[in-house]
Amino acid sequence: MKYRYQEEMSPPPPQRVTDVAITRFEHVFEVEPGLMTDHVTQQTFPNWDTLRLVRSRADHLAWMHRHFADKVISGEELLHDLDE
Amino acid sequence: MPDPEKRFAEEWRNAAYNCFSSGHKFCREVCPVMQVTRNESWSPTAFHANVVAMEKGELEVADVAADYVNCTGCGACELRCPNSLFTGDFYRFRTRTVDLVKAVRGLAVSQGVHQPGWQRWNLLTDERRHEPVLNGTPVDQARVRDWADGLDLPIGGETILFVDCEAAFYRTSVPRSVARILNLAGYKFGLMNEQWCCGGPAAEMGYEEQARRFAQHNLDDWRAAGVRRVLVLDPHDYITFTEDYPKYFGDAYDIEIVLVVELLAELIREGRLTPHVPVERTVTYHDPCRLNKRKGVWREPREILRAIPGLTFHDVDRVTQWSYCSGGGGGLPVEKPELTAKISEHRVEKAAELGVDTLVSACPWSERPLSEAGRARSIDVVDLHELLAESLGVAP
Repeated sequence: MKYRYQEEMSPPPPQRVTDVAITRFEHVFEVEPGLMTDHVTQQTFPNWDTLRLVRSRADHLAWMHRHFADKVISGEELLHDLDE
Repeated sequence: MPDPEKRFAEEWRNAAYNCFSSGHKFCREVCPVMQVTRNESWSPTAFHANVVAMEKGELEVADVAADYVNCTGCGACELRCPNSLFTGDFYRFRTRTVDLVKAVRGLAVSQGVHQPGWQRWNLLTDERRHEPVLNGTPVDQARVRDWADGLDLPIGGETILFVDCEAAFYRTSVPRSVARILNLAGYKFGLMNEQWCCGGPAAEMGYEEQARRFAQHNLDDWRAAGVRRVLVLDPHDYITFTEDYPKYFGDAYDIEIVLVVELLAELIREGRLTPHVPVERTVTYHDPCRLNKRKGVWREPREILRAIPGLTFHDVDRVTQWSYCSGGGGGLPVEKPELTAKISEHRVEKAAELGVDTLVSACPWSERPLSEAGRARSIDVVDLHELLAESLGVAP
């Protein structure tokens, strides 16, 4: 509901998941920051941006499912259509 | 290659290669400029590819600066970019085409490469402290609070309402509606002491020094007046205050920014506002790019619309709306009004397909181009805040 610099720029403390991944928000995983220092450095992300990407991805996938995955067609059916 | 260009290419090269190698180009199909022009030189991919060419010394910013006019800063390309949408949070590295466009425009201005419309616009803004939104009619500090005449609002206080240039001078019924609604709910707020342009448009057009100077003035003025919280009704200001100002001031940025649409939805939820006057219209909602795509704010405007009795609301999939834009952002209408008009026509055409009589927006900057396009199809374009004020019986 509001933007405050200190809140947005203070991410929750990381918890290690594997050697190469950490987590800061529930169900949101990030690459271990130490692995992104040589070729591509990580950007400064406010918290809202991380969460926006996660939510937008979920929305996008739900949208794709609504539009494209309402029916499953087997390979057999496709071949049958071609034969006709 | 001049040093500034070299530094620029070094800063953006990884992002550029990252984009260039993806090859998916999903961004192209949701870009409002691409949708109506099909000009590949104006695609988000091209904007990145130019950086690769710049790094290799194949071109200079002066060769391509005019191409970078063709972006409304809507952010659709970023959301449809697989690098951002599917891995951006994991790597903390997302495609930032909007920032890249701003950076190239800034580089061009710093090299003395100007777009004539933008140069004039920013010169006038610098002289008057406000954008020249009324064309020949000057706008200045003496008139910045005219919109609030008769509302008896205090100046300053802990919470103030920031009104953007378009709403302060041209769409005055929008801030009047907001003020009346907040008064009705008993929400205390004041007006700014001195209100300069937020500086966001100058930053978007590449006039960074001016943008920072305006931002510094506003922040100093807020602090001097004891302001702790700024209410914002314009999505463009919201972006400027939550993305540009934090970049300028860092840890010293101690102001809370509240989007009015979110505040109003909360006041309705809490029962402090109850829309009761029926508004007999068949409407659909235009998600302002800077709310839906760039900030993820789309629920609250719909909550407000659904609370208004009498409305027949034909909503469309908000994810589909990632590809919609009014064409009114990023300085495009200043430099290429004909392109803005085409994008608006495209947007209104989508509304017309739903059989509505009204297109509701929540962005003062979208309303001029959308209204013009709407007239051709007999579709009214109205502001969400105004619609709510009407239903609360406090229309300005």
